[in-house]
Amino acid sequence: MASGTLPIPAVQALQVVTIAVAAPGVSGVIAKVEARLQGRRGPRVLQPYYDLAKLCRKEALAPEGASWFFLAAPLVAVTCYLTVPLLIPVLTSYPLPLGYMGDILGGGFILSLASFVVAVAALETGSPYAQMGSSRAKTFGAITEPVVLFVVFTVALITGTDLPYALAATVRSSAGQIVRPAHLLATAALFMVILYETGRIPVETHTGTNEFGMIEEARPFEHSGPYFALLKWGSAMKQLILFTILLNVFVAPWGLAATARPGDVVLAIAALLGKAIALGVVIAVIDNSFAKLRLFKITEFAAGAFLLAVLGVFTLYLGGG
Amino acid sequence: MAIAWTGLAAHVTAPPAVPSVFGGSANVVAVLVLLLEFGMFRQALLRDQIRLYAAQSAAVSVLAVIVAAAQNVPELYVLAALSAALKVVIVPLVMRRVLRGAGEEIAGSGTLGIASTVLLAIAVGAFGFFTVGTLGIAGATLPETALGLAMAVVLVAFVLMIVRRDVVSQAIGFFSLENGVSLAALVIAARMPLILEVAFLFDLLVAVVVFGVLIRVHRGRGQSLSTAELTRLRG
Repeated sequence: MASGTLPIPAVQALQVVTIAVAAPGVSGVIAKVEARLQGRRGPRVLQPYYDLAKLCRKEALAPEGASWFFLAAPLVAVTCYLTVPLLIPVLTSYPLPLGYMGDILGGGFILSLASFVVAVAALETGSPYAQMGSSRAKTFGAITEPVVLFVVFTVALITGTDLPYALAATVRSSAGQIVRPAHLLATAALFMVILYETGRIPVETHTGTNEFGMIEEARPFEHSGPYFALLKWGSAMKQLILFTILLNVFVAPWGLAATARPGDVVLAIAALLGKAIALGVVIAVIDNSFAKLRLFKITEFAAGAFLLAVLGVFTLYLGGG
Repeated sequence: MAIAWTGLAAHVTAPPAVPSVFGGSANVVAVLVLLLEFGMFRQALLRDQIRLYAAQSAAVSVLAVIVAAAQNVPELYVLAALSAALKVVIVPLVMRRVLRGAGEEIAGSGTLGIASTVLLAIAVGAFGFFTVGTLGIAGATLPETALGLAMAVVLVAFVLMIVRRDVVSQAIGFFSLENGVSLAALVIAARMPLILEVAFLFDLLVAVVVFGVLIRVHRGRGQSLSTAELTRLRG
């Protein structure tokens, strides 16, 4: 195998496996770094895996009156999260065959479907916390969605297509592509959206227990056992997927495998994890240096992200972006 | 991976021209000037508002240095140094001294919420941006986008002055409007004689003195920095 190459479908499967297996680990590293920054010793890096294993052994309960959808939702959500890595450049700089199933918008739709399904399941429960969380998640989701759209417009205007692979290739092509304002603005806007989507500090406390400011974290309140494990694992995967999009498409599309040789692919996995952990450290620092915004100030945060994304498109329209 | 690459190429249809590294970084600094202008909407502390103005002025000076280095216009170094000394150091110092006398720190809330103000300012800024874009004025030294951005800075500064209801924010809005004008001057007329540019800087100094007096008088009469009291006509 040393001189041979992996079959392309195997590389494609490996993209999904990398995201699925590494996601809880990345969360674990971020939690550890965050704890160290606060002067605590923090949980083990592998703690999320132990949590998932423990939850899988527990009994699964559903609230009275909840329909089959309540239990189906975690499965659908995880399926969505397992589909998206097929569409984005996780390990390779060349597009894989199934990468053409959907563009950036397609990936966005699948991620929104997952979040929608979880929100509907939360509504099924009748629990006030879960319902409040899902209603808030959808409200603020509607505000951040235009930002994502404008980021996609920027990508489309820069590359003439909306395939993530094409933008990554464009960013790699020259230094002029990196310093152009449209690219920097779209990247910053996307980063702010990711802070919102992963429930990080300016928007939401990630490790919070019950409190009124909860958004994303409140939704799986009524799930238990293996289903809760799926939801937790799903949100870890969503985080790593969003990190991958930001890193491998916008910020640092270097270190991807240019061939299907096993050595290159392994190197690409290591590079992805290294970059994701670096981004995680940045996010942990942000977590520790800012205060959580009041709920009604989140619109200001979203307006800021929207401003960045819109300016990106504007500068492109005048030809100077 | 030749097959895969041709597949990719079929999807890529003529991407627009890439700006040069100089053009790109000059535009980034110009965008930064505009973003700092937007940042002033968010700032409730008057001291921080002044700090943002200083940062914005610094960005304009940095842009002057970039232009001077890349386009070989040595006078611009002098201009950058002068404007940095005046707008980054002296004007903020004077404003801070005026504030210390006033004893107020927090700007009252504006007529609109912050998010709506930002959206309004985006619309107004976009108007300026695209209006200038259609004129097709190409400067010799800087890319055209910077001119559109300068126009946007001027209009957004107007929004700031209109929306805010305290004298200090309005003064800062006026000074940052001048930053937008200097940005435009860098784009269109970077090779303008130095003496003219310096004359503009002295104009700003006059404005600072006038605003300083205005703030003191207003404070002395109304016991506050808010302009909300000024709506009633007095005979």
